[in-house]
Amino acid sequence: MATMVSSAGGLLAMLNEDHPTLKLHALTNLNAFVDYFWPEISTSVPIIESLYEDEEFDQRQLAALLVSKVFYYLGELNDSLSYALGAGPLFDVSEESDYVHTLLAKAIDEYASLKTKAAESNKAAEVDPRLEAIVERMLDKCILDGRYQQAIGMAIECRRLDKLEEAITKSDNIHATLSYCSNVSHLFVNRREYRHEVLGLLVDVFKKLPSPDYLSICQCLMFLDEPMGVAGILEKLIRSENEDDALLAFQIAFDLIENEHQAFLLNVRDRLTQPKYLPAEPVQPVSTETESAQDATAATTEDVQMADGTQAATEAAVTGSVPVVDPKEATYAERLTKLRGILSGETSIQLTLQFLYSHNKSDLLILKTIKQSVEMRNSVCHSATIYANAIMHAGTTVDTFLRENLDWLSRATNWAKFSATAGLGVIHRGHLQQGRSLMAPYLPQSGSGGGSPYSEGGALYALGLIHANHGEGIKQFLRQSLSSTNVEVIQHGACLGLGLAALGTADEDVFDDIKNVLYTDSAVAGEAAGISMGLLMVGTASEKATEMVAYAHETQHEKIIRGLALGIALTVYGREEGADTLIEQMTRDQDPIIRYGGMYALALAYSGTANNKAIRQLLHFAVSDVSDDVRRTAVLGLGFVLYSEPEQTPRIVSLLSESYNPHVRYGAALAVGISCAGTGMSEAISLLEPLTSDVVDFVRQGALIAMAMVMVQISEASDSRVGAFRRQLEKIILDKHEDTMSKMGAILASGILDAGGRNVTIKLLSKTRHDKMTAVVGLAVFSQFWYWYPLIYFISLAFSPTALIGLNYELKVPRFEFLSQAKPSLFEYPRPTTVATTTSAVKLPTAVLSTSVRAKARASKKEADQKEKAEKSSATESTSGKVKSSSDKDDDSMQVDGPAEKKAEPEPSFEILINPARVVPAQEKFIKFLDDSRYVPVKSAASGFVLLKDLRPTEPEFLSLIDAPSSNASTGGGSATAQQGSAASMAVDDEPQPPQAFEYTS
Amino acid sequence: MDPKLSEVSQMCELFKAALVRNDFEKCETLLSQLKVLLTAFRSLPPLFEATLNAVHELTVARDIYEHAVILSVKTEDQDAFERDFFQLKPYYTDAGDRLPQSQQEFPILGLNLLRLLVQNRIAEFHTELELLSASALENPCIKHAVELEQSFMEGAYNRVLTARQTVPHETYVYFMDLLAKTVRDEIAGCSEKAYDSLSINDARQILLFSSDQELSGYINEEHPEWEIKNGYVIFQKAKESAPCKEIPSLQLITQTLSYARELERIV
Repeated sequence: MATMVSSAGGLLAMLNEDHPTLKLHALTNLNAFVDYFWPEISTSVPIIESLYEDEEFDQRQLAALLVSKVFYYLGELNDSLSYALGAGPLFDVSEESDYVHTLLAKAIDEYASLKTKAAESNKAAEVDPRLEAIVERMLDKCILDGRYQQAIGMAIECRRLDKLEEAITKSDNIHATLSYCSNVSHLFVNRREYRHEVLGLLVDVFKKLPSPDYLSICQCLMFLDEPMGVAGILEKLIRSENEDDALLAFQIAFDLIENEHQAFLLNVRDRLTQPKYLPAEPVQPVSTETESAQDATAATTEDVQMADGTQAATEAAVTGSVPVVDPKEATYAERLTKLRGILSGETSIQLTLQFLYSHNKSDLLILKTIKQSVEMRNSVCHSATIYANAIMHAGTTVDTFLRENLDWLSRATNWAKFSATAGLGVIHRGHLQQGRSLMAPYLPQSGSGGGSPYSEGGALYALGLIHANHGEGIKQFLRQSLSSTNVEVIQHGACLGLGLAALGTADEDVFDDIKNVLYTDSAVAGEAAGISMGLLMVGTASEKATEMVAYAHETQHEKIIRGLALGIALTVYGREEGADTLIEQMTRDQDPIIRYGGMYALALAYSGTANNKAIRQLLHFAVSDVSDDVRRTAVLGLGFVLYSEPEQTPRIVSLLSESYNPHVRYGAALAVGISCAGTGMSEAISLLEPLTSDVVDFVRQGALIAMAMVMVQISEASDSRVGAFRRQLEKIILDKHEDTMSKMGAILASGILDAGGRNVTIKLLSKTRHDKMTAVVGLAVFSQFWYWYPLIYFISLAFSPTALIGLNYELKVPRFEFLSQAKPSLFEYPRPTTVATTTSAVKLPTAVLSTSVRAKARASKKEADQKEKAEKSSATESTSGKVKSSSDKDDDSMQVDGPAEKKAEPEPSFEILINPARVVPAQEKFIKFLDDSRYVPVKSAASGFVLLKDLRPTEPEFLSLIDAPSSNASTGGGSATAQQGSAASMAVDDEPQPPQAFEYTS
Repeated sequence: MDPKLSEVSQMCELFKAALVRNDFEKCETLLSQLKVLLTAFRSLPPLFEATLNAVHELTVARDIYEHAVILSVKTEDQDAFERDFFQLKPYYTDAGDRLPQSQQEFPILGLNLLRLLVQNRIAEFHTELELLSASALENPCIKHAVELEQSFMEGAYNRVLTARQTVPHETYVYFMDLLAKTVRDEIAGCSEKAYDSLSINDARQILLFSSDQELSGYINEEHPEWEIKNGYVIFQKAKESAPCKEIPSLQLITQTLSYARELERIV
């Protein structure tokens, strides 16, 4: 433009002309120049407005647009929007200007809030049709321009499911869009009902696709709680001719398992149709399947293969039980058996067990140090050591420590004995087949009744821990034990065990059994009963809660009230707004213990949602309640609400962690521990560090435990503070003058830090970002250890193995290699502790943790020394096979990555891992499958169970993990040998093996 | 030559001829058509596109608007004057550097100043003045208006009235007439404040009327709230001047004191 007019006066004057053409001319030009002359035009707005209101003027919309722009510049967005609506089609949503952007945002906000309000009050929305038109135009435009994510976001926000569907179906990459969409709906849709609607729509869209992404559909269906749909899909897949489809079905099943929704999985499993005949070798995991043989004829009628089916059916009727094998049916039956195995969780549990057993890297020397440093008479530290041992070996089935220290162990009496026995359950967690025989010596004997009730109760609790969330097989036994006793300690154990085994199944009969125990009004048994009822009813929001509240008011025992309060909280797990009435009722109660339960209810109902309302409420209680318990719990609850966004937690609780009230500080520490568990987040560690040297002993305890939870599986190479923390723990444990409370915290922390043989982490979210119910419930009950130490074992529910386990079609673990594109030292196991001095070896209780990576060269030299020493010292022991196997192992590892061992050479920037391998969460992004690998994963995933497609099926396969942990019910020495032997035959890790844990003969 | 431009030029000639003939009706219709035609030229404000005939078009358009302003003065239509003047203004301010200066520029600017004076829009008057260059202020047309304003402000109303004889341009007469009325209004406003009442004689003299009829006519028309009684014009000052609100001083004092006391107690 050559020259600019300096004033809009001329044009404004033209507006007053009589001739409509002149007015139009003026309007058009003003509209073009409004960006510069709005201050001048603003004085003439009334004239333009009157033009807009003039029914006869044919350019009213232009006038409206002009007014709207002027109002926009004046900051009157509401007026601006209403005139923009008047401008109709002239308001161009695609225009790239601040004005249009601002107004669109405003319009969408307005529209969304109207729609939301309407949806929440269940009234039809009274929305200005013009507003709707604008939003629709915007949506259409986004879709046309290919900005699907934007369109999806808007459609969800505005509750326009029709547009959402359109956006998804029109997008160029429907699968990506769908997964984006389901992600968004989890992250940003706060209302549960609405989220269900969205997911329902997604499932519909999924189903219409030519090549549906069954993995995602099933995830959605699971969230919607529609077992029928999942069962249908799975069945279709395993009926397919293609083996890949079956692999996919297995993969789906493994993914579902990861979310730990027991009731749902059982439902899916029971809805899969039976095969027409059972294969000749029925390896049935479930008893229900046997009945189906009789229903074979019924099943055939509804089958797809009608002609075949009927014929086969008659044959079957004639031949009776002799199977005439229709090959298709046979494959179906075979696949179905596998699928059921997976869905029941048995396959994954077994594989996990094998993995944890074979990769166990726990350091017995740490335990030994702890054991020697705690005073004999200090029973708190004594049992803390037992807890730490159990946690360290959770799921590994390695109970060497206990067996070697039976004398020492026998000092545990009463409740300590209870937890010592229960600890076995943690160690053998997941050992479904042999769990019962393992615990047999401790279980209540019918008739004789000779054993201590404490160990009997503990054994029942242990059974529950072994079968946690997979308690089909053991439920009946536990019920019997419960009803056949009236010793409250045994009842206590049985209640907890039953609750764990039947987690979330809402089984009425079990509930009634437990209720009977509750009504005996015995404090000890009642507490466990309360918790157990909650476990049973997790997330059902059933009517039973009111019953429980009523009894909580009735009883005199604080223990029972506390148990019930937690139980009630558990029932509303994940119900979000659905739990509001109950939460309201509980948080307004007179009794602080019920309010305390209310805090848990709030935390669990909104767990992982990061819901602002819940956070606000919790913060309010954290600073305003009169009871310290309630305040502590309120802060702690923040950890649960925020675990889906762990970055937030340290920021939110940072002020609270400096509170004058030690209870609040304690809560803040645990909140960080819970929500940032396993992340090793720097902010979280910085927040916890000062708390570990707090003036109040229990705050130190909480901070140490929380720190351990945050640092679990973080290697020193990625954060040097891990090493410092380990040394701090050791110092606290060895310090004679340290308070018992913090000492106990330190002992537990060492246990958690090396949990599950250093192969597990604490994870509250599955890979698909669903909540892991069992884990959340486990941590919630764990946080109760403040009142009742045996509940510490619940933390084992939150452990999930960090492994990549590749499976072939046979659900076996083939041996193959893949790549981790990161320095090995970043993710390696912590080095085993060593004795400080090499010369004057004997009886010095001090041990120094070897720390830095740069000392690698020295360490490897030392390692050699130690091997010699180990040889020497182990000469006193009976088994010499140990040593041999260890040197074998070292040889193997030398072959795999020799360079890493050499002194001068720089560390390689990658390492080769062999299936199954430990892959810690931070490592996942570095995992790559080799291009020329024989196996290709069905879906891209870097951890967990991955089904593999075999590209060269003709070649012979080498399997890893073929050795199941042998029955440890045999002698201790035997089990130790078995362990070593298997480790040697196992796929060798490329990391230097830790030297044998050698023991002193004292 | 562009056919549109030639059409406009022809019509412009017709318009100017009609203006000279004082054929106002014809002028109005022609002007309206012209204005519509002008909107089609993209070289005109506010677009100022550099087309081939830009200078010519601008000149013609300016010519048309100048005459439109003169027409509005002749028809004694102040609104039309304002409208046309504002539309004309960009040709002086923004296109001034591309066109030869118009003969009419200063007379019209002066007219506009006069109009503002007549309408008693003093603030705008000064705004306009500020926009003019120092040399423009020397121009007799502008100077006239400025002097008038000064006399007006001083209250030297007689000087204002005598200035009618020294108009620099014949079109100014209309506004000078109007100015007399403005002056009268001003005087009336002042006397209303200054006096409770005045004798009819004095009032007539002060308000510069030659006869009592004119005076009473004026009063009926402009100030119906005045009263003529017993040979006096009574201004209704007494009625208007309601006593000013009393300041609640006592209350304020006690309040402040109590705050001070409270503050002392807190500290």
